[in-house]
Formats: sequence, C-alpha cells, structure tokens
Amino acid sequence: MPDIDAWRAVAAATGPADRAAADTAVRQAYRLAGLAEPTRFVWADSPLSGVLALADLEAPGRSVREDIRTRPWAAERRRVHDELGPAGWTERWHATGAHLWDTTRMLTDRLRAGVVAAMLESPRYADADATVAEAEVRGLLLDAVLGQHEAPWLAAFDDRAGQLAGLAAVARATGWWWPFEHAVVLCERPSRLLRDEAGRLHAADGPAVLFPDGFALHAWHGMSVPTDFLTELPSLTPARIRDEENAELRRVLLEHYGYDRYLAESGAQPVHRDETGILWRIPMPDDEDVVMVEVVNSTPEPDGTHHTYWLRVPPGTETARAGVAWTFDLAAEDYAPMKQT
Amino acid sequence: MFRQGDVLIVPMAEEAVPGHLREAPGEPRDARGRMVLALGEVSGHAHALTAPGRLLRSDPSVRLLHLPEGGRLVHEEHAPIVLPKGWYRVVRQREYTPGAVRIVAD
Repeated sequence: MPDIDAWRAVAAATGPADRAAADTAVRQAYRLAGLAEPTRFVWADSPLSGVLALADLEAPGRSVREDIRTRPWAAERRRVHDELGPAGWTERWHATGAHLWDTTRMLTDRLRAGVVAAMLESPRYADADATVAEAEVRGLLLDAVLGQHEAPWLAAFDDRAGQLAGLAAVARATGWWWPFEHAVVLCERPSRLLRDEAGRLHAADGPAVLFPDGFALHAWHGMSVPTDFLTELPSLTPARIRDEENAELRRVLLEHYGYDRYLAESGAQPVHRDETGILWRIPMPDDEDVVMVEVVNSTPEPDGTHHTYWLRVPPGTETARAGVAWTFDLAAEDYAPMKQT
Repeated sequence: MFRQGDVLIVPMAEEAVPGHLREAPGEPRDARGRMVLALGEVSGHAHALTAPGRLLRSDPSVRLLHLPEGGRLVHEEHAPIVLPKGWYRVVRQREYTPGAVRIVAD
C-alpha cells in the first residue's frame, strides 16, 4: 500500500527543487515512455515564469505530455483496477488519493487562475483581446505536468517500479514542468505555502503562496483577496467592517477581527443560551444576518482554559441547540451527546 | 451519542445497518493500523481507533463504524472517549457559509 503521509508531504513541499534529481527523473520518464531524452533543461522560478519561458523556447518540438503522463497513468490505472476490481480500486482511492485530492486541486486551480491573471496584465498581452489571451494562456497551462501536485494520483499507485517511476521521481523533486520532444521547462516549488486546518490557502501576514521570483497568491481561508487587503487588517474597526460594500470581503474582515470582539464592541446581545452553547446574531446591511453558535471545547487547553469557538449556522436558526445540532446534520431534539471531549 | 471535537459518533441499532454493509470488508486502515474517522489535512491530527472493527462508507457523506469489542477513540488535542461495542454513524461537523457548507477541521 502506498504511503499516504509521504505523498501528503510531497504535495505540500516548499523550498528549492532538487534539480539534479529532477534532471535524472525527467530522463527516466522519457525513457519509460519510449522517447529519446530531451537535450535542453530550462529552469523557471514559478509557474508564471515557466509560462513565460515557454514562449522563448527555440524549436522545442511537440508537447509530449500525452506520452509522458496521460498514457502511462491510464495504463497503470487500468492495471491496478484490474488487479483490485472496481470495489477494491474505489477502496484504494478512498484510502489514498482521495485524502489529497480536494486540497491539491484547490491549490492548482488557484495557481492557474493566478498565472492567467498575471499574464493578462503583462506587457505581452497589453494590446491583446482578453478572451483570446486567456484561452492561449490556459492552453499552455493544460500542457503542464504538475510535478509535486500529481501527488493525489501517484499516491494511489505503487510507483517505485513500473511506468510511473520517472513521473513520481519528478514529483518528489520539483513543481510543475512542461515536457517537449527536445526541451523541458521545469518550475521551482513555492518558497512559502500556508493553509488553514481545512487545507485552504490562508495567511494573514502576507501571501499564502509565494514563489522565489515573487509570484504570489493572497488568500483568506481559501478566498482570494487583493494584495493590499491584508495590510489593513491590523487596523480594522467595527465601522470599517460595516462599511465594506463587498459582502464576501466583509465576511473576511469580520472573521479576522474576531466574532467575539465584534460582538462585544457592537453591543450585540445573545439571542439564546442553553447547555450546548450560546446563539448570536449580527445584522448585516444588504446581506443575510450572521448567525453563530458559540461552543466551548470540553477538553481544556494545556494552560487549563477552555477553547471557545464560533461556528456559523443558517440564518433561520433560533436556538443554540438547533445551531449545534445543525452542524452535525441533526434536528435539535436529536442532539444529545452523553460524553464530549 | 459522543462528541470528540468536530466528530459526532451516533449509536445505531444493528437492524438499521443496510444489509449489504453488515458483512462488507471495511476501509483499509492507515499505515499505523488505525481506523481514521477524520483527519486534519494539514496537521495530520486524526480522530482514530486501533480497536478491532470496521469503518464503512454507506454513501459519500456518511460513514458507519462497527466495533465488535468496543474501542478507544483518540485525538492529539482531545481527551479519549471509550466507545461501547456496537454500530455507530460517524458525522463530521460542518459550518454554514452563504451559498455553501464547509467541513470544520480542528
């Protein structure tokens, strides 16, 4: 059984690529695909620089992504599927790749969107039709092999030998790469990657993703935010939060400011209180009310205090019990834990 | 019914377990031989049991847990909970966000 923790680490790896290992691994992937080894290796400091480098390649030949990634992957998937049967394959996927799939896909989607946005602002497309330019950049991105971000699929296979060995070794060594007949463009991994506990991109004090060349993504619990948005977070006031016109950004401001602090400073009153927790409501101009249950963790923190957390519940919630029960997909009358920690 | 952080364990009658699941093989255990009920994707902290038994997926959002001899549910940040033998439904806590619902992870 493949080692899921090792692949989790590969998917989240930061810091300089192992360029020597990547070089060897790329050659192995070409040989396994029955192709002649490429003669030119071009390194880029981010997927954005990688896309820019593609345009400067002289006579790279055709893209060999099909031969290098798609075909061996499909063959390996068929082999494992035949070996385990449909139910066994589903089980294998749930135990391995499925754990990494959502978080990795969120990251690669955001990286692609970030590259597209940056390219559209670059001098190269200054006079271009935005739709045409976007289609062109997206096309280039589709030719990429995702290196470390192929981890979810690779995690489902036993890859030390066989058709995927080269692909897997590249994944362990570096980030995205573009294979062509004669040349390869390889990208460095991020130098910084910060996520919240749910695996969503998240950082309050700078970019959530940063590459060595400065290409960066800013995010708050997975939501894309403008670059300068984070710099004003330390000086927030309840008035500033109420005045934010973009409802999504206002939610981010509120979350950062702290529901508890906002509740205290805006004079909000608890709507309902019972043994499961406290229900709060904050009216929001031109947006649905924020309704939250305040829950206390039963297990004390190392310092003996109890961690309190707020969970947002649907705006129609009327009691604390109904709110907590909703978070577990239960009706209020059905929620009755006899022990909680 | 037991709660450990963001996971709720709800006892269920054996008769309520779908017939095809009663004898079905469980999901594979992790590398440490544990049944993992929920996993913090970044921290790797897990609500997990090493007891004999099976973890079964009845549909994409619901998992069932069978503990023929009972077991001890542990997590890095929460006190352990001793579960009596029997069948359970495992529910992951969620949070409301306008337009979507997201899973809570602690």
